[in-house]
Amino acid sequence: MTQPFRTRAGGQIDRTVTLSFRFDGKVYAGHPGDTLASALLANGVRLVGRSFKLHRPRGIYAAGAEEPNALAELRTGARREPNTRMTQIELYAGLEAASQNRWPSLRWDLLSLNGLIAPVLSSGFYYKTFMWPASFWEKVYEPLIRRSSGLGRAAGLADPDRYDTVNAHCDVLVIGAGVAGLAAALVAGATGARVMLCEQDFLLGAGLVGQDDGWREATLAALAAMANVTLLPRTNVFGAYDANVVGAVERVADHLPEPPPHTPRQRYWTIRAGTIVHATGAHERFIAFPDNDRPGVMLAGAAATYVARYGVKPGNRALLFANNDAAYLSLFTLHDAGVVMAGIVDPRAESPAQAAARARGITVWSASQVIGTSGALALTGARIARVGSAGTDTLVAADLLLVSGGINPAVQLASQSRTPLDWSEPLATWVPGVPVLAQFSAGAANGVSGLREAAADGARSGAAASGGDAAIALPEDVPADATVLPLWEVKGRGKAFVDIQDDVTANDIRLAAREGYKHIEHAKRYTTHTMGTDQGKSGGLVGAAVLAEARGETVQNVGMPTFRPFTSPVTWGAIAGANIGKHFAPTRLSPLHDWHVKRAAVFMDAGQWLRPAYYPAPVDSDGWDSVLREARAARRGVAVCDVSTLGKIDVQGRDAARFLDRLYTNTFSNLAIGRARYGLMLREDGIVFDDGTTSRLAQDHFFVTTTTANAGPVMQHMEFYLQTVWPELDVTLASVTDQWAAMSIAGPKSRATISKIVDGLDLSNEAFPFMAVADATVRGCAVRVFRISFSGEMAYEIATPAGHAETVWRAVLEAGEEFGIEPYGVEALGLLRIEKGHVTGAELNGQTTAADVGLEKMFKKRGDFVGRVLAQRPGLTDAARPRLVGLRPVTRGEQMRAGMHLVETGSSHSLGWITAVTRAVELDGWIGLAMLENGASRIGSRMQAASPLHGALVDVEIVSPHFVDPENARVRV
Amino acid sequence: MSVSNHSGSNHSGSDLLAPGAHGAVGGEPVRIALRSCDVVQVLARKGRAGDVAAALLGALGLVLPGPGHAADGRGASALWVQPEGWFVVAPRGADGALASAIKAACGDAASVIDQSHGRAVVSISGTRAAWVLAKSCRVDLHPSAFGPGRVASTQLFHLAATLHQTDAVPSFDLIVFSTFLRSFLESLTHAAEETGYVVA
Repeated sequence: MTQPFRTRAGGQIDRTVTLSFRFDGKVYAGHPGDTLASALLANGVRLVGRSFKLHRPRGIYAAGAEEPNALAELRTGARREPNTRMTQIELYAGLEAASQNRWPSLRWDLLSLNGLIAPVLSSGFYYKTFMWPASFWEKVYEPLIRRSSGLGRAAGLADPDRYDTVNAHCDVLVIGAGVAGLAAALVAGATGARVMLCEQDFLLGAGLVGQDDGWREATLAALAAMANVTLLPRTNVFGAYDANVVGAVERVADHLPEPPPHTPRQRYWTIRAGTIVHATGAHERFIAFPDNDRPGVMLAGAAATYVARYGVKPGNRALLFANNDAAYLSLFTLHDAGVVMAGIVDPRAESPAQAAARARGITVWSASQVIGTSGALALTGARIARVGSAGTDTLVAADLLLVSGGINPAVQLASQSRTPLDWSEPLATWVPGVPVLAQFSAGAANGVSGLREAAADGARSGAAASGGDAAIALPEDVPADATVLPLWEVKGRGKAFVDIQDDVTANDIRLAAREGYKHIEHAKRYTTHTMGTDQGKSGGLVGAAVLAEARGETVQNVGMPTFRPFTSPVTWGAIAGANIGKHFAPTRLSPLHDWHVKRAAVFMDAGQWLRPAYYPAPVDSDGWDSVLREARAARRGVAVCDVSTLGKIDVQGRDAARFLDRLYTNTFSNLAIGRARYGLMLREDGIVFDDGTTSRLAQDHFFVTTTTANAGPVMQHMEFYLQTVWPELDVTLASVTDQWAAMSIAGPKSRATISKIVDGLDLSNEAFPFMAVADATVRGCAVRVFRISFSGEMAYEIATPAGHAETVWRAVLEAGEEFGIEPYGVEALGLLRIEKGHVTGAELNGQTTAADVGLEKMFKKRGDFVGRVLAQRPGLTDAARPRLVGLRPVTRGEQMRAGMHLVETGSSHSLGWITAVTRAVELDGWIGLAMLENGASRIGSRMQAASPLHGALVDVEIVSPHFVDPENARVRV
Repeated sequence: MSVSNHSGSNHSGSDLLAPGAHGAVGGEPVRIALRSCDVVQVLARKGRAGDVAAALLGALGLVLPGPGHAADGRGASALWVQPEGWFVVAPRGADGALASAIKAACGDAASVIDQSHGRAVVSISGTRAAWVLAKSCRVDLHPSAFGPGRVASTQLFHLAATLHQTDAVPSFDLIVFSTFLRSFLESLTHAAEETGYVVA
């Protein structure tokens, strides 16, 4: 396993260890410290992918997050991750990766013929080309486009790894661990501040890695010794949000074949920082010239990185095309490593670096530019011509073309933090202006060039950010002059790309401008410019400059598309973190849950609660058998239901009664101590909000119950009015939902049942009538007994502190055994309430008024309450509004469905809808509740219930919603 | 009818706290335990906070703390949880006895609500306890920002929780709604697998 392009020495790699890995099924070798990209280059692999739209052959173009071409599907099976940048994938033994967008293979990509029909595939092509016939879009065009474009494939299997989230806080957050970031962290750390340093690379030091004078190692050692400094390598800060909150993803275990046990693959950090130092460095930008995407064309700085950091020669014979002196240093790094120099093409007439190059014996074509490239799957040469010359061009042989159009400070995060961007004439790029938040930009991110200058800038920022200062050593200077002669595009025959990943050319930008998409944001969306994984780091400004020329304006006038999160792709796994499966949302369990489980209840979700739907018994042949058996027990004997889920609020204070009078439509101030009353609550807009019973335990003490679903909202509603509207009231509120378990004992034998176990309370009808409340004990446990009924039968509720729930529940079951007591679940509860015509959330659905559901008599005669005024709106008092009615199928056995619409026979005009249906126990067959226009006047008539979705049409009879005991006598016996 | 097929395990989550070491080994595990406590919510009636303070000082030796703080008294602690509202937390005693004692001391100066069955107290302790909590907790628990005797009402693992740092180890008492206890322990122990956790 030779690595023909590996240098003999140098680089921050461990040459004593050889790692074997696979790319597109073929085995290669590399070393620890390599990225997949550097290892492939060491093995002479030049072709690593096909482009997104045109399927042009592409090679490694960069050495970091800005890589547009070298995207891989990393790993296999359930761990396969698409669109990972080979330039950021840390090599490990056994790594497997595959190139993307090639079909059937990387070398023979049939879809590269797209290049020949490219005029059809110009920007916006999918808006224009595939319009007709419309039916072809779904069946033909879209699948074809999806096959031929798009990026990698997701695994499609459940991710076997865990992900995690963490919140962190610090005084100073330094983003980026290049020379400026290291200096900033060192100074801030020395002042004693809590410092976090995030670096997306697996090594700290950026450009210093592999060419260190000792400063990097000394600085890292000093930082590691500071307990107040947290170093986070492999951590990309992807977004900046309000108030110096940033999001970051740490690739905890991506560099390992598999995460160790209990270790997350990735960790999503939310960092709240006092001040932020953006030491995010800079991205080199390219120049748009014809065929500037051929494998072998590479950013100049990236090529130098491969040599210095990885000990890899990215080619044999290098040509440089640059408009600035700093880029010459990159070529000199290759020269020093023994790469053959093909020469330098520079649009500038002269510069100090040109002289230095000539002194090295390197040919320099001044005032010249590259006007095209040659080669097929790899670069073989470049055509060059003098600037402004219409004459002949020269073909220069080279397998590596280094490009530099200048540098773009990485201002993405600063800009997301609302720092304005200023135009730098010397650099012809955007640099950070005066920050809005407590932030600084330092080093290359601040437009500073030269190692020593960048370190000094970092140190200044670290001091300012921490509010202290400390003297630190600075690295040896490597002066670099990044001043450019602006050159954005070389026009000529062939495609000149401004976004290599998205296959956007300079002509596409001009087309967008011609077609009216002249705003930078419109041009971006029309062409997909800067929309790839690299987010236009190398070509965003180039495209903006082409647009500026098309508009006849300056590039600074055109601006840049808004920088937004994410600066680099973030996996869904990291975003979800640990919040998957049962950790996605909490589940709430009744204190009687264990008993329900032991009784093999079938459970159902009720909001966050898990409640028994019904309790199957051996005699039941299906769920309905269980539900009907449970409901019959409540109607004919006795049954008990866990109602612990009802919301319970303790209301106390001298003004407690007045407070409830203002919140409820009915009056509580005249409620006697030891009595309960049903209450109805409206929203401000007059629509019914919630209902429940409220008991008076003392003059200044009430116990309010809410529906299960509205426990939280009612508590909020009460707190809101108490805190903001009536703060003068002496009222306290406490949620006691969890403190009290509750069970409803219903049926003609309910009194006989609980009389056997309730101590200290006379339960006779005279002493404890309907709506009475009193404290007592059961088996020594404190209980509160309420004579209230939801089922319509004689019924009691017993509440007890949650820890006693099962003791009391078992006592009830034992006492009721002689009467055939059954526990009943939510389904039987629903059956009983439908028979009785009691409303629940199905009717109190946020659209109904009190009158709609037959509760208009609940409005007190005098006195205001929340919702009273708006309840009088004409729209809410219209007599024709849908009103609660009961339904029975004319043919009793026929099934109705909730959600069916009610129509006049033969009509398709809906006059109402069914809210709830059930099989009944007091009547034959199915019954239902419905909201029906002019419902009261239709009672006795016949209509049809229709569900076109199910193809169902049922003749129904409109009846009173109170199927059982409309006089409400049973509850009082 | 829509029926859920997850039957859940026990309500208290005690099966999740099997004695022994769990999760990663070889690091610095945290200790997780359920504490058996009485929790009484004391809410001063309008204008009566001074009377409540005097009553609790007399009855339990508690100097009622201000926002973000807790104070220890004779066998009980008071945690500030809302304006002029506190949790009084004490080791589990006779059912209702702590609430009755406080009610007797406060009279009509306070609403006294026994929450001993409505709240559960989970303790987590160890040098990495703050790291485990930080997976969900947005409050800065660094010694420079928090510490023994500090209290925060916040969210942990999607649930409202009262967080009380009880010592400098650090150890934290986490007071949550008892009907959510099982869910809370599921998420807390899952979060603690990375450091490892020990149940006594």
